[in-house]
Amino acid sequence: MYELMAWLEASALAEFLRGLGIWTYGIVNLAHILGIGLLFGTVAVLDLRLLGLWRSIPVATIARPTVPLAATGFVLAIVSGIMMLSFNTTEYHGNPFLYIKLPLVGLGLINVAVITRLPAWRRAMAGATGESTDRIVLPIAGAMSLAIWLAVITCGRMIGYW
Amino acid sequence: MKHLSIYPVAVVLLLGFFMAAQAHHGWSGNTAGDVEITGEVVEGVSLAGAHGTLQIRDADGRVWDITLAPGPRTHRAGLREDTIPVGAEVTVHGERHEDPEVFEAKVRRVIWEDQVFDVYPPRD
Repeated sequence: MYELMAWLEASALAEFLRGLGIWTYGIVNLAHILGIGLLFGTVAVLDLRLLGLWRSIPVATIARPTVPLAATGFVLAIVSGIMMLSFNTTEYHGNPFLYIKLPLVGLGLINVAVITRLPAWRRAMAGATGESTDRIVLPIAGAMSLAIWLAVITCGRMIGYW
Repeated sequence: MKHLSIYPVAVVLLLGFFMAAQAHHGWSGNTAGDVEITGEVVEGVSLAGAHGTLQIRDADGRVWDITLAPGPRTHRAGLREDTIPVGAEVTVHGERHEDPEVFEAKVRRVIWEDQVFDVYPPRD
């Protein structure tokens, strides 16, 4: 882990960012917050729908704006997150919040891959009549997603306070 | 069914609050009391990253990692990246890391020659 961190810290990206001026870190931090806001804001709406709120609105209708916005927010958060880490990567060596957060981000992605392959999700997206089990499967998927991203954000916020 | 799916969310929320209470604040690792270190600048002031940084070597040859205020704030206190040359002797006031094996301090004040840089407000 330390070797990987030292590599990122010494990378051309890190050198470039460090040379951009005193406000650079703050601006990259701002991009990270915007990414998180976009990701969690949209994911929360979709997940709460899966949990059973606003049943009069079809899942597919809610997924149309929320899924691409969540993906945009995710990419923004990942790119800015790597940038923020690169400034002083080795300083975070042994930081438990970072070490919990990174696998959780991976888990969040796996969760997305699993949900979008569920027959229950496919039926909901096609606007088809759901089977009785869908009313159990979809809320669980929504709860998993909410829990993972909430944990990711919590760990991320705590990194700087360790 | 709804109760079942709310449960993991509640667990994560509780975990989050617990961790927040544990983490407290950014100076939590620097509780070993006030420290004053005089030494020679080994690596000059850098204002990139979450906080400004500086490295000094004290009379016993120990190299200290000095953490300043965030870049813009340190800059506003008059301490720029090119203000203090490498090799100059400086004195810093702050709090050192709780681990006595770790030579790191978060500082409020940097003194170089006749110049005083209060990157955080003085305590007295």
